[in-house]
Amino acid sequence: MAMNRRDFLKVGAGASGSLMLSLSLPGCSGLPTGYEEETGEWRPDAWLEITRDDRIYFTLARVEMGQGTYTGLTTLIAEELEVAPEAIEPRFAPVADEYKNPLYKLQLTGGSTSLATSWEPLRIAGASARELLIRAAAGVWRVDAAECSAGEGRIIHPNGLDSMRYGQLVELASKEILRGEVALKPAAEWKYIGKQNRRLDARAKSTGTAVYGIDVSLPDMVYAVITRSPRFGGKVQSFNGDEVRAMTGVLEVMEIDRGVAIVADRYWRARKAQDALKVQWDFSEALGLSTAEVFETYRKAAVEDAGESERSEGDTESVLANADKVVEAEYSQPYLAHATLEPMNATAWYRKDHMEVWAPTQAPDLGRIAVARVTDLAPDEVTINTTFLGGGFGRRLTQDYIEEAAAVAFRMDRPVKVIWSREEDTRHDLYRPAMLHRMKAGLNKGELSGWDHQIVGPQILNWYVRNAGPAQFPWTPRFLYDTLGTVGVWAEGLATPKDISAIEGAIDYPYQVANIDIRHTHIDPGVPITWWRSVGYSHNGFAVETFMDELAHEAGQDPYRFRRRLLEDEPRHREVLDRAARLGGWDTPVPEGRARGIALMRSFGTYVAQVVEAGFENGSIRVYRVAAAVDCGQVVNPAIVVDQIEGGILFGLTAALYGEITLERGEVQQSNFHDYPLLRHYERPEVEVEIVDSNETPTGVGEPGVPPVIPALGNALFALTGRRQRTLPLRAEA
Amino acid sequence: MALRLTVNGQTHSLDIEADTPLLWVLRDELGLPGTKFGCGAGLCGACTVHLNGQPVRSCSTPVEMAAEGEVTTIEGLGRGDRLHALQQAWIDHGVPQCGYCQSGQIMSAAHLLSTNPSPDRDEIVAAMTGNLCRCGTYSRIIAAVESVVAGEKPAQEEA
Repeated sequence: MAMNRRDFLKVGAGASGSLMLSLSLPGCSGLPTGYEEETGEWRPDAWLEITRDDRIYFTLARVEMGQGTYTGLTTLIAEELEVAPEAIEPRFAPVADEYKNPLYKLQLTGGSTSLATSWEPLRIAGASARELLIRAAAGVWRVDAAECSAGEGRIIHPNGLDSMRYGQLVELASKEILRGEVALKPAAEWKYIGKQNRRLDARAKSTGTAVYGIDVSLPDMVYAVITRSPRFGGKVQSFNGDEVRAMTGVLEVMEIDRGVAIVADRYWRARKAQDALKVQWDFSEALGLSTAEVFETYRKAAVEDAGESERSEGDTESVLANADKVVEAEYSQPYLAHATLEPMNATAWYRKDHMEVWAPTQAPDLGRIAVARVTDLAPDEVTINTTFLGGGFGRRLTQDYIEEAAAVAFRMDRPVKVIWSREEDTRHDLYRPAMLHRMKAGLNKGELSGWDHQIVGPQILNWYVRNAGPAQFPWTPRFLYDTLGTVGVWAEGLATPKDISAIEGAIDYPYQVANIDIRHTHIDPGVPITWWRSVGYSHNGFAVETFMDELAHEAGQDPYRFRRRLLEDEPRHREVLDRAARLGGWDTPVPEGRARGIALMRSFGTYVAQVVEAGFENGSIRVYRVAAAVDCGQVVNPAIVVDQIEGGILFGLTAALYGEITLERGEVQQSNFHDYPLLRHYERPEVEVEIVDSNETPTGVGEPGVPPVIPALGNALFALTGRRQRTLPLRAEA
Repeated sequence: MALRLTVNGQTHSLDIEADTPLLWVLRDELGLPGTKFGCGAGLCGACTVHLNGQPVRSCSTPVEMAAEGEVTTIEGLGRGDRLHALQQAWIDHGVPQCGYCQSGQIMSAAHLLSTNPSPDRDEIVAAMTGNLCRCGTYSRIIAAVESVVAGEKPAQEEA
């Protein structure tokens, strides 16, 4: 981050005369800081609170959905504050400007950015509190602060014998002033960064005590289930409300924007009543297409519109016209659901011009906008309480489930919990877009001379700005929300960051070729889409790394060495590629009936290469081993890095082997884990992960494990069968 | 209809429709939300509890089938404040990621070890294969179960 450390420090006198130190990014929500006489709590900044009785609370502004922020970000604070990570109790952040993700200017968790964006600010927060405590102690002892040290929650006297607990010092520390830059610990003195391996949330999650959104319980709470249009965009025409309202336990049946809600005193009664609900839908504006038509539309668009140039070097057209050999291929990938194991849910309670919401959300400030949309409340009149998330993977960046709970709760005088069934979760997801890729490359005497990649499909921004625009400008009147969204799309690349969701993984093609042409033909069939773990890399990775394999084959070269020779100026790419090849035994004999495939992708700043060893068993594809090498800069928690890469590999394999959402006349055909399967225990390959030692700024690991495994598996199957699969999911019989 | 149900050693009398899935009775009537709803069709295992010592999918077990029976949930697996050896192993091995499936995973593993104290790798995998994990924690799950089978001491006693 290019920001000067001083930029984070805002010092001013609090109302009580005590010193307030606010470590913040631009913008101010007026979060209270300083010392609270009555409770004995000291909040030196937006993140930390230390109490007289030595409790340390850390406000976690990046939600915990499995990726490890709860442990990793707490470790950053702990390191500088000189306490064990276990001594700190993380709390989920409320909505406030201080907690926004600086890359998006929204309070969201996504894009594998949590560690990278917290790396400096949180260590500075911990170090600042430590320095203030040291000064307070030095003042008491009348010694030089520079001679004092901190350790295990105490400030230690220069004599090495006397010490004071942090709790004893909080009131004095709150009156101290920090001038200039605070010194961060040198890497050689780290006790926890790079070494902490335990997860701080493991106990709660192994005893059933971690609270997810679906576990929220409130007095007099009632339950709502919602029947939504089976086709996207259908509208309620009529429904048998009176009949359903008469059923046991049913309190209310109401139409909301997204369908018909049944409110009952018990969840199961609401579900049973739903069986009796008959809704007449108006499909006049609904989507009626089938998956085959989506791809027909894409192919037509690809021919009619060459696409917007996203990267152009050299003269690809004439190089390809003159190449010895031109290789062409078309790749396609289906829509994919997120299938978080915790289905969508939210609990909302409307009381006197205020809505309080409890939800597993990746973007609580967008949640406030979702509530404001369907009520007459302003975003400031909405409180969002974030819980643990039973998986996110991008799904919980969209706040439709909060919108539903708010719409129902606004018309009830009791708290309402909306729970989606698995079938609803699968059929009313926002999907990883189906995509089409047209690739063309030239080979001259086995040398790659030109690379042409046309990406055909939608981009996500158009679906996202709806609530993201207003969340950036929460004082905007509600009637302008949609305008803001439209302006957001229009201002893409100017006021709004450029949306690279369709092209990431393609425009950053790392191989050395003088002639490159990468274009995006933007076409959106109208099926709801959003981010899905590794986003554009998930489909571009498959196209790029499979096509590289095809070219190696056409050039008669080893796929690993073909790539390696084109990476002379990319040492980090090459390093992970070499390590994966070594770890995966690339040059060793492969067991009978198996073959290996390799792939490489840098995503979200992290470099990952993988070697997959696969074959067939009982007519199915069997993945035996995956060897992965990863360079994510400085590692904070090695065990979590390994887990995220391995988890990403299994997530990618689920997509490669099974993932496919199809539409028939606008209706999603899949519903539950029997027809949208996830990889099971018995299908788990042996996974080995090797981490490159690095002092570079840390980059994220939540997503980068996913992209390479899909092409690496396809490449292994090609090596085994000689048949190239260019459509996902991969088939055993293909 | 009044039903008697013993959950984690406590007997309850409930007035509830007989076809209500045991899952929602545990979560919403008895305040035991550690057992999770994942699919409602017995496909994912997140709702696994023990009924009379057998693992069942509580999302598709009508509460009447548990009447007069003994149910154990994740909340009742340990003894008081003492964790079950598997729970401690889960913590030591850092198994959970999002954690949502882990109650069900632990209940399936606990049943396996109660009937077969020294399963081999294949037996562990077979017993756990009905429990889905979207985060991909399967390796750590197997390592944690194997550490309990091997009688390994907890890495560090939890306070």
